[in-house]
Amino acid sequence: MKVLLTAVNLTKRYKDVVALDDVSFDISDGITGILGENGAGKSTAIKLFLGLIPSTSGSAKALGQDAHESIAVRAKLGYMPEHDCLPSNITAAEFLGHMAEVSGLPPPHARTRAADTLRHVGLFEERYRSMGGYSTGMKQRVKLAQALVHDPSFVFLDEPTAGLDPGGREDMLELVSKTHREFGISILFSSHLMADVERACDRIIVLQSGRLVESGEVTHFTKETETVFIEVDGNRERLVAALEQRGVAVTTDGHGLYIEGPDETVYDQVRDALVEAEAPLRRMAPRRRALAELFQHEGEDFASELSP
Amino acid sequence: MTAQPGVTKREGTVFDIGYQNYTGPREGRGRARISIVKNGVRTSLGFGRGALAKVLPWLFIAVLVFIAIIMALVAGAADRLIGPEDAEQLNLPSHSDFYGIASIIFFVFAAVGAPELLCPDRREGVINLYLLRPLTGSDYVFSRWLAFFLVMVAVAWLPQFILWIGLIMGDPQPVEYVLDNWLDIPKFLAAAIPLAAYTTTLALLTAAFTTRRAYAAVFLVGLFVITTPFTTGLAAEIGGTAGQWISMFNLSNIPVHVNDVIFGEPSVITRDAPAAELSSWILVGWFFLWTLGPAGVLWMRYRRLTP
Repeated sequence: MKVLLTAVNLTKRYKDVVALDDVSFDISDGITGILGENGAGKSTAIKLFLGLIPSTSGSAKALGQDAHESIAVRAKLGYMPEHDCLPSNITAAEFLGHMAEVSGLPPPHARTRAADTLRHVGLFEERYRSMGGYSTGMKQRVKLAQALVHDPSFVFLDEPTAGLDPGGREDMLELVSKTHREFGISILFSSHLMADVERACDRIIVLQSGRLVESGEVTHFTKETETVFIEVDGNRERLVAALEQRGVAVTTDGHGLYIEGPDETVYDQVRDALVEAEAPLRRMAPRRRALAELFQHEGEDFASELSP
Repeated sequence: MTAQPGVTKREGTVFDIGYQNYTGPREGRGRARISIVKNGVRTSLGFGRGALAKVLPWLFIAVLVFIAIIMALVAGAADRLIGPEDAEQLNLPSHSDFYGIASIIFFVFAAVGAPELLCPDRREGVINLYLLRPLTGSDYVFSRWLAFFLVMVAVAWLPQFILWIGLIMGDPQPVEYVLDNWLDIPKFLAAAIPLAAYTTTLALLTAAFTTRRAYAAVFLVGLFVITTPFTTGLAAEIGGTAGQWISMFNLSNIPVHVNDVIFGEPSVITRDAPAAELSSWILVGWFFLWTLGPAGVLWMRYRRLTP
């Protein structure tokens, strides 16, 4: 895999506050999540990679270059900020065309790219409407579009699902996945929502108080457990009763049933209980650990901060 | 349905070619600067925005053009009614007086228009997106300055050209008028530059300290409105060299004194100002101090700006 961002012994101090403390990591192509509580150093790391602030020591290179020394590399980087950044009185088409030009594209190419990008984020029909009248979801899409309009090699997304309802959040996460899968653009996804990171990312980096505490494949952190998860489309209470009648210990939550450490015979009992309870089976599989659970074990404060 | 004999059936197919990577030219920082300038010019004149955004700039331009037309009509009427020689004795206002007469309109135009280039970018967070591009804070603020400077220069030149055409048309001997007065053209072209530079710089500097356009506009208009009667009255009261120096603080007269130096005669606005008696070098130096100083502060304000 191609390494796109590299931090080597990266340290950033603001007077007495150490925002990043001797951190080293690589970020390859794909979607990488960066997790951490407020003040963990996520935003500082992004600013260092974009060259907006100098490091105290060590180096932060994006696409092989230090963006603080050569701002030209920013033409191949994109950034979607968390906070509002859209002018209210102009159309999305005009704004994106302008942003493409500011990224260095000549005007005719900029206009074409603006229209194409708005089509890809699902706003083609709305492109001539003033952005002041857009919904939160539409604004988030324009923010993503402005980060993609100049076809960067790497994009930083800062809380892309912030303020979205569940439907909008699903759409945004799908768009983020599509950005890498279909557009071939690698992403650093900064979020405090572990479920979003788990859903969208291939790898994660976890920062805590300016230090790197975890990094690796998401599947490594969410590996299968000994618990079996069962989801049915109805008659759940009857199924629970049927299983308990057979001496199988069951726990339930809003999603389904869980059986801890089952042996081979339990599967037969589950089958019989399903028949007896007339419960249509939707899913039965080993349960995967959620990222939030992992960090709950390692630090209660961190987990409570990060849980949605 | 059967196809008619001899008619070829055509079928169209729509292909979704999906996302295409951009392989065209990337023109870097230079293109970014040009784009900020272009966007600034469009914003100042309300292009690409709603009708309301166009009202103020074009109203000011219309007023300036109206003043030029009135000046041309008065000169033409005087020539015809009392004859060219007597009309010349009246010393009617002309190109050298236009910027002085219309100075308050230029200042209000700058006070209202220039903040539109800086305030919304900071208030709405767009500045953060600019600074993440291959562009520095210095690039941004210089490009915005250049955009409004170009608008101010164009807005200053337009009525002067209309006045020039009006004076030619109103003169009984237009060819002679052109031969006698052609030097007015380079003079009014040149005199617009200090006026535009001064008003642009002061207006943008004020806008750099607030995210609200109205606050910047009110502060700047207030500054000009207050300093003019205050310094005029105080200078007349005190008199002498001190009075001349107090008169220098009449902020709306600073670029008009440079206009007078370029035309080689005081305009109707500065004719009675005690500062007009000072050396041209002092007046021009004072103008540079009041333009480069605020420009430096403006630059410092944006130089190290980070999102």
